[in-house]
Amino acid sequence: MAKISGRVKAYLGRIGPTLVLLAAAVFFIAPILSTARAAFHKVPTILLNRHTWFQKWSLEGLRRAFKEEYFWTTLSLSLKLAVITVLITMLLLVPTALFVHLKLPRARALVEFLTVLPYVVPPIALVAGVAAFFRPNARWFLNSDFALAPFYVVMAMPFTYRAIDAGIKAIDVRTLVDASRSLGGSWFTTLRKALLPNMASSLLSSAFLTATIVLGEFTIANSLAKNTFATFSFEYFSRDAQGGVGLALLTLVATTALLGMMTLLTRTKSRKAATMTRF
Amino acid sequence: MGALIEDESPHGANGPAAPRKRFGWTWLGLLPFFAFLSIFLLLPTVGLIRKAFVANDSSYTTKGFTDAISTEGAAFWNSFKISIITAILGVIFGTALAYAAATAKRPKWLRSLVSAFSGVAANMGGIILAFLFLTLLGRQGLGTKILADNFWDPYKSWFSINDFSGVVLVYMYFQIPLMVLVTLPAIDGLKSSWREASANLGGTSFTYWRRVGVPVLAPSMLGGFLLLFANAYSAYATAYALNTQSNLVPVKISFFLRGDVTGRSPMPFALATWMILFMAVSMGGYLVLRKRAERWQKSAAA
Repeated sequence: MAKISGRVKAYLGRIGPTLVLLAAAVFFIAPILSTARAAFHKVPTILLNRHTWFQKWSLEGLRRAFKEEYFWTTLSLSLKLAVITVLITMLLLVPTALFVHLKLPRARALVEFLTVLPYVVPPIALVAGVAAFFRPNARWFLNSDFALAPFYVVMAMPFTYRAIDAGIKAIDVRTLVDASRSLGGSWFTTLRKALLPNMASSLLSSAFLTATIVLGEFTIANSLAKNTFATFSFEYFSRDAQGGVGLALLTLVATTALLGMMTLLTRTKSRKAATMTRF
Repeated sequence: MGALIEDESPHGANGPAAPRKRFGWTWLGLLPFFAFLSIFLLLPTVGLIRKAFVANDSSYTTKGFTDAISTEGAAFWNSFKISIITAILGVIFGTALAYAAATAKRPKWLRSLVSAFSGVAANMGGIILAFLFLTLLGRQGLGTKILADNFWDPYKSWFSINDFSGVVLVYMYFQIPLMVLVTLPAIDGLKSSWREASANLGGTSFTYWRRVGVPVLAPSMLGGFLLLFANAYSAYATAYALNTQSNLVPVKISFFLRGDVTGRSPMPFALATWMILFMAVSMGGYLVLRKRAERWQKSAAA
């Protein structure tokens, strides 16, 4: 009797959590399904019924979008921006974080404080800052499409620095450096053969996350009137809703794939490692 | 070696001269970092704050700063309401979802699925998110059609994807996952031995939550609330894509920047300065609480 009531009690106790999980599944999956339908189904919603539901499915919307000249130019710009942003981030933050650890522990609090400042100045405020500072002082700089990259580095800095810093803390940097140096390795060799391989997973995850954020970034690009993939998607949506929705779906799939790759590539020792976010 | 001496020097009594010399040269290693941040973050920020306090005749005044809040009061109020509502709902549903996922035993992959999906959704935002919901609950959306045909027409009552109700609903799509990511480690940090200890001492489930569970989770939940508030308050792209005329502070900043060709009006800069103030309070609180919350997570990992 006691056994049964115990099992019933445990079962009843799971009803709440199960309902929460089911409701969440509906809320998070429904918009993706409706987007897939809007992208590939050529029947207006008003005419949708039992008979039309299975007709006119096609890839035509996406195909139209692919034929747009701007699709390719903006996509290539966004990909280049992602690569440049990641490169600047690594070249700037890895040496800085290592330097703070090895030579200047006193500066840690200050550097950590500075790297989280972009949280306080969100992209839309940074845009106002660009208008206030760069427009009057260095307008020429904003003419280049690649002017976006340094601002993306700043935007991503709170989590990129945190990830790099965590990667350094997880390994015994001091011992690795001393071992490599005492074996006659130069600083460059030490960095390349001892430090970077050990930090690879944290560097990779911050690189992937940075790339996905750059690919979807709209606020700064739109305000500085740059034709990136995100601003193109937005503009194209108003001309051709089906093609625009197809692009949105494509971006979503690509983003998920990138983040999934990041999880797979960096899943080493700590299986329970927290999923990375912008925050 | 070098680091040893440096670590000790502040405590040592060898006079100010020696440390100051070392101070100067070692800090040069951080020069690229400081220079980069100054050019691309600090100077623009100082520039925009300065512009918020400069009048048309280039005299300093606080008029623009106070005018911003009186003439754009409605935008402030809307942004504030949206941020508070989505943050509260996000904390409630996010914590519930994280708890449900963390305690579920049966499908083993459930927890990692929820965690991985949250990583994608919390980072999504932007215009893609607006498109997803336009296809579902826009006027011609599939969900609108299904609801209107069977139960209730959302557009004949209070709902519209382009106004306040729509923005709240769409923001939940990134607020809930963000909260999941904030609380999941904290919930993992609740050790089952604590619950057993509480039960052995005669505590009920209620006592456990009141004395152990909630106090341990509180920093994460409060921190999560502040983070979600800041996140919604500064979100621009989604609101703009849903309705380019949204009366929200971020959309207004962009509107005034565009409209102001001369760059003289302090309005967009005053609005941005207010936003920075809001962000400083909420994100500052979040970062402090995150440090506190990580204490339990470290002890749980050990």
